[in-house]
Amino acid sequence: MSIKLKKLIGVIAAGALLSSSVYANSIGYITKSATNSGWMMINQGAADAAAEAGVDLITVGPTFQGDLSSQLEVFENLLAQGIMAIAIAPVDSSGIAPAVQDAMDAGVAVVAIDTGVNGAEVTSFVATDNYAVAKVQGAYAATLVNDGDAIIYVTGNQAQSTGQERRNGFTEAFKTARPNSEILEVPTEWNSAQAQEGVEAILNARDDIKMVANAWDGGTMGAKAAMENLGLSAGDVKLVGFDGATDAIEAMEAGWVHADTAQMLYQMGYQGIKAAVDASNGKEVSARIDTGFFLVTPATAQAYKDLVGIK
Amino acid sequence: MTTLSLQDKALTHLVGFFRKEWSGALLAILILSVAIEMVTSGKPFFHPTNLMTILNNSAAIGVVAGGMTLVILAAGIDLSVGAVMGMVAAVTGYIVSYWGLPAWMAILCGLALGGLIGAIHGSLIAYLGMPAFIVTLAGLSVWRGSAHLSTGAQATPKLPGTFDLFGRYNPFSGIREQFQSGELTGFMESFGAFVDTHWMGFFRTFQMSMIIFVVFFILLAVVVSNMRLGRYIYAIGSNEQGSRQAGINTRLYTLYAYVLCSMGAALGAMLFLGRAPYAKSDYGQMWELNAIAAVVIGGTSLFGGRGTVVGTFMGVVLIKLINNGLTLAQLETFWQMVVTGLIILVAVGIDIVRQSKSAIKVQQMLGVVAVVLALFAALTPLSTLISSVISLHEHNTMVAMQEAGTKMVSYQYARLLDEAGVLSLNNIIADTWMLSLALLALVAGAVLNVVKLHKGLAYIVGSVFVLAALGLIAADMAAAAPLLILGACAMFGLPSVPYMFARARELDGGTS
Repeated sequence: MSIKLKKLIGVIAAGALLSSSVYANSIGYITKSATNSGWMMINQGAADAAAEAGVDLITVGPTFQGDLSSQLEVFENLLAQGIMAIAIAPVDSSGIAPAVQDAMDAGVAVVAIDTGVNGAEVTSFVATDNYAVAKVQGAYAATLVNDGDAIIYVTGNQAQSTGQERRNGFTEAFKTARPNSEILEVPTEWNSAQAQEGVEAILNARDDIKMVANAWDGGTMGAKAAMENLGLSAGDVKLVGFDGATDAIEAMEAGWVHADTAQMLYQMGYQGIKAAVDASNGKEVSARIDTGFFLVTPATAQAYKDLVGIK
Repeated sequence: MTTLSLQDKALTHLVGFFRKEWSGALLAILILSVAIEMVTSGKPFFHPTNLMTILNNSAAIGVVAGGMTLVILAAGIDLSVGAVMGMVAAVTGYIVSYWGLPAWMAILCGLALGGLIGAIHGSLIAYLGMPAFIVTLAGLSVWRGSAHLSTGAQATPKLPGTFDLFGRYNPFSGIREQFQSGELTGFMESFGAFVDTHWMGFFRTFQMSMIIFVVFFILLAVVVSNMRLGRYIYAIGSNEQGSRQAGINTRLYTLYAYVLCSMGAALGAMLFLGRAPYAKSDYGQMWELNAIAAVVIGGTSLFGGRGTVVGTFMGVVLIKLINNGLTLAQLETFWQMVVTGLIILVAVGIDIVRQSKSAIKVQQMLGVVAVVLALFAALTPLSTLISSVISLHEHNTMVAMQEAGTKMVSYQYARLLDEAGVLSLNNIIADTWMLSLALLALVAGAVLNVVKLHKGLAYIVGSVFVLAALGLIAADMAAAAPLLILGACAMFGLPSVPYMFARARELDGGTS
């Protein structure tokens, strides 16, 4: 409830013309989504870090995922009103760059969370190295099939660096290990219904598909629904996820998902806000904070659940 | 009346076909299907299970678009259907997961919620006179927000099996299981055996989604064309003032249209839940645009009063066919977006030419089709040529900037090439520039033919199309040759259009 309330206050505060003194002890946090389950974990980490440091967190989310113009507007409002520091998850790496440059020039610390900024320096970039983790995903996925088996890869938005890096990392690592395998792609804009439809179409047209790898766990759940729609059972086609979302881990225990590279989502939000607070207090902050990952397999699922606190 | 010759009969059928509002959508579906069939490998696109998969995945958005058709026919618009669908899906899932209500009761609650929302929209629009665009735009925001608020924007656990009856439930799966466990005898046994042998080839994707989708549209078509509600909606859409003077309670029937539209969105939510992994409040984003697109592609006028329910059915199937076909054809992501838009333009373009009823317009359109086909064929060598030239240019610019000492961001260095890269680009350019230029000349010829419609010119350009197709096959780019053959058909058919129009008019005059 308190997060929701804060969010509400944040929206009102960012919109209204208030005197700068209100923001003297505040960190602006511009998130990418308030409804995606992965982002809710990141936002929780951010809220906890702010509470720990004793600063106010002004959280603002876009009206819909991928809305650059509303992010730019909020960013400029926060900046104009003298915020201490801004932590932002850009919906568009390049589009946000000029605004970030303005803030940095004005001496306000900017921390990029999850997605980097293309074309402007930031105080710190706090994220999983998507490319490196996707390579781990691809290399592990390769061990689940034989060379020559056809697989499906469900992509994320290919106009965003996160989507590009995950696809490139997966494809490179998988192709290195299984050079004769065919990878069919299902393009999405991080929309699980698109994933479900595309996977269903291909699985129905071809009976030689051995695995569906996904750029995020919404895709994994969409692919699982596609298998159910075609009357397939757990394990008939192997699923590989990315994110370590709760529902995907549950599906792993039921035998559907065989591997999932989890980002340390809570850490991403926590470390991001911590870096923003430190930077605004004049402390030295590392320019790149890698929040790491966890390769979840049926063998390590329990350890992962204990670590991130899934009951 | 004398019996018609075979040619005249064919002509009568052709004219009859193009009199239908949905002919543009159907034609686009056919053209696209043949194109996808040609480029996909493996199991054919025209396989019954694939066609049924398309229908299964059309069901949810189809029912939403069906409701939208009523509103648009009444010269209104409903921008909130996606949000209403998301809200109903989320709330229904929430009730069944956390309140312990039986599934059927939750489904009834969901449909009632849809009806209530429609009643709110309809009252504001019909009785308070607020613009439909504004009311439903506000609705889009309000219902989406309410859905997030009421369910905490969290996904529910997997829904109970009752929801499968709206989606993935297969009426033949029970018979197959009984057959496999040997419980059947006599006729049912042989039927079970039939189902079992044809399971992968046919029955596997015979699911409730598809059945509900088709039945819903049959019912809706009957209501719209045979019942008072349908007739009044058409009347309100074409002339509201006149309808009111004729004694129609226009406010009440406008209200009905919005209630039915929102209930369509609610039913769409149930159909979606029947195939989805869980219920969540972010379902149905941008569905309002897809639903409106489907209605318009189906030949319904955005200004109301003209259109059919069958057209909307075709429009929905066309949109889903594009998704399915382009995925199977493994076209690159960004190209999929471009091609999707172009196909919609073609479908609506056919509709506009169809309405103009003029021979010259039809000839021009055939000419434009030929131009587009030639352009696509030309793109096969041209796209590699252009991208090579651009890469080379970018490389040279980067080198120049480096020499001038400009500070660059790291990712801009990606434009720099190594020596082998430069060499291979130069080779590509040397290999493709002549063919590209020849095909561009062909495009120019086709454009000239559109501007100056002339019989002889059409035959000449048509012949050049054939020659170019042979040239492409010789140059190892046979994939693009069918495009040119189709273009040649359009060119050769073009001069006979005025004759066909004249003959059709005669036949019309003779029979009436």
